[in-house]
Amino acid sequence: MSADSPLGRVRLALRLARRELRGGVAGFRVLLFCLFLGVGAIAAIGSLDRTAEGGITADAKAILGGDAEARLLYRPADAAAARFLAASGRLSRVVALRAMARRQDGKAQSLIELKAVDATYPLYGKVTLSPGMPLAAALARHPQPDPPPHAGKGREGVGGLYGAVVEGAVLDRLGLKLGDRIEIGGEAFVLRARIEREPDQSFGGLIFGPSVIISDKALAGTGLIAPGALVAYKYRLRLPQGDAAGWIATARARFPEAGWQLRTAADAAPALRRLLARVALYLRLVGLTALLVGGVGIANAVRSHLAQQTPTIAALKCLGAENRLILGAYLAQVLALAAAAIAAALACGAFLTWAALPFLDRLLPIPLAPAFYPGALAEAALLGLLTTLAFALWPLAGIRGVPAAALFRDTVDPARRQVPLWAAAATAAAALGLAALVVLGTGDRRAALYFVAGLAAAFVLFAAAGRLVVAAARHLPRPRRPALRLAIANLSRPGAPTVGVVTSLGIGLSVLIAIALIEGNIARVVEERLPREAPAYFFIDIQPSQLAGFEEIVRRIPGARWREVPMLRARITRLNGVPASEAKVAPGVRWALDSDRGLTYAARLPHGSTLAAGKWWPPDYKGPPLVSFAADLAHGMGLKIGDTISVNLLGREITARVANLRHIEWARLGINFVLVFAPGTLEPAPQTHLAVVYLPAAGEARLVREVGAHFPNVSAIGVREALAAVARVLATIGIAVRLAALVTVIAGTLVLGGAVAAGHRRRVYDAVVLKVLGATRGAVARAFLFEQAILGLLVAAVASLFGSFAGWVVVTRLMEADWVFLPAPLAMTAALATLLALSFGFVGTWAALGAKPAPYLRNG
Amino acid sequence: MTPSLHSGGPLVLFEDVHLTLASLAGPVNILSGVSLAVEPGETVAVLGPSGSGKSSLLMVMAGLERASRGRVRVAGEDLGGLDEDSLARLRRRRIGIVFQAFHLIPTMTALENVAMPLELAGSRDAFGRAEEGLAAVGLEGRLAHYPGQLSGGEQQRVAIARAFVAGPDLLLADEPTGNLDATTGRLVIDCLFAERARHGTTLILVTHDSSLAERCAREIRLSDGRIVEDRRAAPGEAGARRAR
Repeated sequence: MSADSPLGRVRLALRLARRELRGGVAGFRVLLFCLFLGVGAIAAIGSLDRTAEGGITADAKAILGGDAEARLLYRPADAAAARFLAASGRLSRVVALRAMARRQDGKAQSLIELKAVDATYPLYGKVTLSPGMPLAAALARHPQPDPPPHAGKGREGVGGLYGAVVEGAVLDRLGLKLGDRIEIGGEAFVLRARIEREPDQSFGGLIFGPSVIISDKALAGTGLIAPGALVAYKYRLRLPQGDAAGWIATARARFPEAGWQLRTAADAAPALRRLLARVALYLRLVGLTALLVGGVGIANAVRSHLAQQTPTIAALKCLGAENRLILGAYLAQVLALAAAAIAAALACGAFLTWAALPFLDRLLPIPLAPAFYPGALAEAALLGLLTTLAFALWPLAGIRGVPAAALFRDTVDPARRQVPLWAAAATAAAALGLAALVVLGTGDRRAALYFVAGLAAAFVLFAAAGRLVVAAARHLPRPRRPALRLAIANLSRPGAPTVGVVTSLGIGLSVLIAIALIEGNIARVVEERLPREAPAYFFIDIQPSQLAGFEEIVRRIPGARWREVPMLRARITRLNGVPASEAKVAPGVRWALDSDRGLTYAARLPHGSTLAAGKWWPPDYKGPPLVSFAADLAHGMGLKIGDTISVNLLGREITARVANLRHIEWARLGINFVLVFAPGTLEPAPQTHLAVVYLPAAGEARLVREVGAHFPNVSAIGVREALAAVARVLATIGIAVRLAALVTVIAGTLVLGGAVAAGHRRRVYDAVVLKVLGATRGAVARAFLFEQAILGLLVAAVASLFGSFAGWVVVTRLMEADWVFLPAPLAMTAALATLLALSFGFVGTWAALGAKPAPYLRNG
Repeated sequence: MTPSLHSGGPLVLFEDVHLTLASLAGPVNILSGVSLAVEPGETVAVLGPSGSGKSSLLMVMAGLERASRGRVRVAGEDLGGLDEDSLARLRRRRIGIVFQAFHLIPTMTALENVAMPLELAGSRDAFGRAEEGLAAVGLEGRLAHYPGQLSGGEQQRVAIARAFVAGPDLLLADEPTGNLDATTGRLVIDCLFAERARHGTTLILVTHDSSLAERCAREIRLSDGRIVEDRRAAPGEAGARRAR
């Protein structure tokens, strides 16, 4: 191989790069840190996401409770279906419902997720109890009475009681210990053990109530299984061949009208998956912003390093090195450093995932195992590499413009610094590759596209703002005040980092402001608006015969008002005759077809709804089934007035024509139903009533106590408790989001710090000359601070506008919620971030002020 | 002595060369109609006051600056017709440069600095020849030293070794003693002339120092970008002056 061959030139470029790196990496510190932070954040977020997803997938059978599940609402499977199920494999039947658990003395009660299980439960996984004991033994009715209870009275003379195992929260809420008794419906149970791990725990339990497991033999005694009560019968199967999809196809073919919801383990935990996907998406986009903000730092670092290397570059040119060779050497240097930073970031990201596992394990109802996800790490590495190229190639192309003649002169003619076409094309290609990787690697393509477009707009906007500052500083008349004059001149002097600093700091600050406003809007709804406007309690499963008694109780409580509607649950089976599973609908509305929906019937337009299209039916309507549908869902499903929707109610398919569409105000948490039928269709079906009660906090305890005492089958869902649980979940997510956002700000600050460091020599020289000319330290400091303040205020102003706009897009378009502009968090975030940035500038200035003039004057 | 690769005609030929550079205050004329021919093996001193265009003349010769007008031929190549990389290759093969501020690459050892032109030219024995070059300027004991570990005089001797190592036809030196004290400067100049003599290289030397200029066979004086004097010493005069 000749040394002049292409391969020989590559080897020479690598050799030059290696020698250059001997000079140390001080000039590249910002590049290293920015890449490390951005790639590390993305690697950690990607790994955590896959760990959670992997936890669900690895444990999917235990989470679902079997290879496959057939779920029926209101009623158990009929004889034929039950025979089919029993013949399909090992079968476990679980009956699940929401209920109230009470102390026997009636002093406290709690909403619970009640599960009545048979002897084969669980088919997969294991229920871990404390103290350790077999589940069957814990739930069994003991032949001998249990030891005397610590509190309340047992039912004397009936022999032993059935046992119940409960989540720790039940004990806390009721103030009971193991060995005490609780009542569920009309049956008393002995609390025999605490549930440490429940393989098929419902994610909704985090919000609506802790788990209680009893034996299915004890269920009948509770009296909760009344007509129309919201009871789910879950038939889980352990299939001999494990072919769940095949089994589902057979079940559908043999029982097309069964009205059951069939799921395989692959569909386990859809709500948890959706939530995790949302959180991961949010974190990922914030992490990507950190990486791209750091990109500006990469560009600045490369530019300032090359400026320092001008003599070396010029010397190499004088010695006969071609541009390509020098560019290759510096590109190799940048890539080698990037590779080192990326490798360290991946190691750190993987370590963080491992370190966060115990924390996550407590938060999520799934077992998590430490694992190495090369896919997530490779994606983070590729994003880091593309970011390096997108931001480094442009300044590297400036090597071509370094005149070798610089060695003979002190000044370099700035007019020569043109970026060649190939560099523009290569930068564009890297940027497009980056955008493609972001969009293709993100589950929610729409959100990713919004993000890419928003970030591109932010880069353009802030770069334009930076250029505007430079142009204004250049053309404005110079103020008389020397400090201000110097500050303004510094903003536009050749090589000033104004554009880079405005861009990076501006984007970082915009992200912070957007997040502060998004969180502020969510918090406003959850913590202020909902508690004010939402009802205090939902009561479910009120039997029609209990309505009058229920109303009587509410009337006796001062200040209480209530509304009730009949409530049924059914699954949408067809849209315009097309099976729901085959219908083409927008991904955002698929959830409405994936599980049961509550439905009601009404003569008049329900409270909290407004008509969006069509006409409401007359109150005395009699005729073929009509339905009113939620306008946003209809839009996502492509339904219009006159189309048909079929639902399966208790095994019977009802097809109704869409008579009108409604806008529903979900955020008030009133009674709202996606599907409201016209009178005349649903009345004969077994049903219960749903009531909402608005009342002052003082009456809440009495209301729940009295309803519990009179109607043990009625469950009370406390909105305050549920909101507090939601707020807790949001707070946990908020910590993660804020941590990711912090990385963005650190990246932005690093960029600023890098720019301050790069300008340090200039600053020291300016300070020295000014002091020689008689300027006081105060005057010099003022000049530098004016410069920082002008930049800081401009960045804060533009970032406030852009961050607010980004927050508005996320809240109104992606979260489809109401937007309220919140000046306080905005002002606080902008002020804090600007102060942080200014203090960095000040530290640089302070160091410059301390410099002794003599050495600089002798050597300069 | 390395035989010159150039055959026939002047090694350097300037025909009515103008150089105008842009500046914030408008275009500045640096060279205004310079015509000049330098034969192979000549030693030429370029003198003149600051701003007269001496360094610019060297830059145009080295292909580091393009003439705005006129024709420049070096070693038989018309520089106006060469792109930047071709000019770099021409320098690599034919031209050595010594700067006033040495301009060694700080991250490379003395040996690596000297080997650089040979490495760029794809020479297989770059380091062996670089070692010989350093030995020739008396720095065989400083091979592994970085520029920061060498004195000014030593750095300039490394720069001289680097300029001669590829056996150039033309050596351009821009105030090579400008950053050195008188004694060290004399030693460096001795070294430069010894190397020139050893390689038979054409030398064009920019200087303010008339005693240094006297060691050259020809003196060119510039003023305001024009040649105002072009004087050849009588045969033997340069050597005699050197002896004084």
